[in-house]
Amino acid sequence: MTQTDEQLLDAIAVLYAALDPAPADLVDGVLARLAVEDLETEYELLTLVERVDHASGTRGVTGVADPGADTTVALEFAGESYRVLVRISAVDGRRRLDGWVVPAVPLRVQLGSDSDVTTATRQSVESDADGRFEFPDPVAGDVRLWLTPQATDESGRPIAPLVTPSFRL
Amino acid sequence: MHGAPGGPTSSGLYDAATDAFRRWRDDDESALDDLVRVMSPVLWHVVRATGLDKEASEDVVQNTWLTLVRSADSVRDPQAITRWLCTAARREAWRVSKASTRTRPVEDEVLDARMPAQTSPEAEVVTGDENARLWHALGRLPERCQKLLRIVAWEPRPDYSSVADTLDMPIGSIGPTRRRCLEKLRVELGGAS
Repeated sequence: MTQTDEQLLDAIAVLYAALDPAPADLVDGVLARLAVEDLETEYELLTLVERVDHASGTRGVTGVADPGADTTVALEFAGESYRVLVRISAVDGRRRLDGWVVPAVPLRVQLGSDSDVTTATRQSVESDADGRFEFPDPVAGDVRLWLTPQATDESGRPIAPLVTPSFRL
Repeated sequence: MHGAPGGPTSSGLYDAATDAFRRWRDDDESALDDLVRVMSPVLWHVVRATGLDKEASEDVVQNTWLTLVRSADSVRDPQAITRWLCTAARREAWRVSKASTRTRPVEDEVLDARMPAQTSPEAEVVTGDENARLWHALGRLPERCQKLLRIVAWEPRPDYSSVADTLDMPIGSIGPTRRRCLEKLRVELGGAS
């Protein structure tokens, strides 16, 4: 049996891959770390200041919400200069997400998994001039919103982009 | 994930990493994911070969990627990306092992004594006759040979100067040592002519 150096080294590589494999979550851990790094260096992290869950829609004469009724969750995030309000509603089993920013500023808004390091796989929409935006078919799971104001401050510098903490859809 | 193609002759891995890095530099942000998926298992073996424990190795791999993201502009040539990553990982591993008390140098005797215990949980993966023979032959080599062969088996086109630092050997001796270690391995395998 004669093996070339390359064959022998390939066999060694395969052996170590079997005996001491990289942890199954190694790649996910790296991507999550990079996502956090992205947040720390570029975005202002907003704080969740209020969350209201309520059932809406049909109410009986008693005024008690119908157990099968549609639900709405309202979230409010605050940063140094902006507040972001988000309403997640489920109507007939279909979720949608509406939001707006106060004070109003035009935005590019992205919605994506909270560990998503890349912007390519996020859903992206533009807000209207009043800072209102909507995702008619938002992704599920633990997500964040990344909001990039398309405007400059009074001294002509771009306004720092914002990101919400993770929340569940 | 450890299904990535390994081995020094795996030009597929080298090409995939180079291509992903080039796309990332061209503002394709999803290409960074591809690069992480291709190269993290390689970095794992490069770092583990320095003797760091698993937890510390995971940290070193993560920090290596942070370093890349913060200083991607310092990689001028996309074809140098695998070497850049492996070298950065090895340097970080070396720094951590100097600074940390949880990593002790492992003597050959200690390593030998630990091998059966280490292998038993994964015994089924060494069931193939060839794999078992290779494993036992490797175990009879000096520790330095085991480390060097693991590095050169996993790392595409390694940078010998950083390998030399890691193994505390003169750079000029890496090539000859690699040859000698492979020869010893052939002898242990009974395949020497």
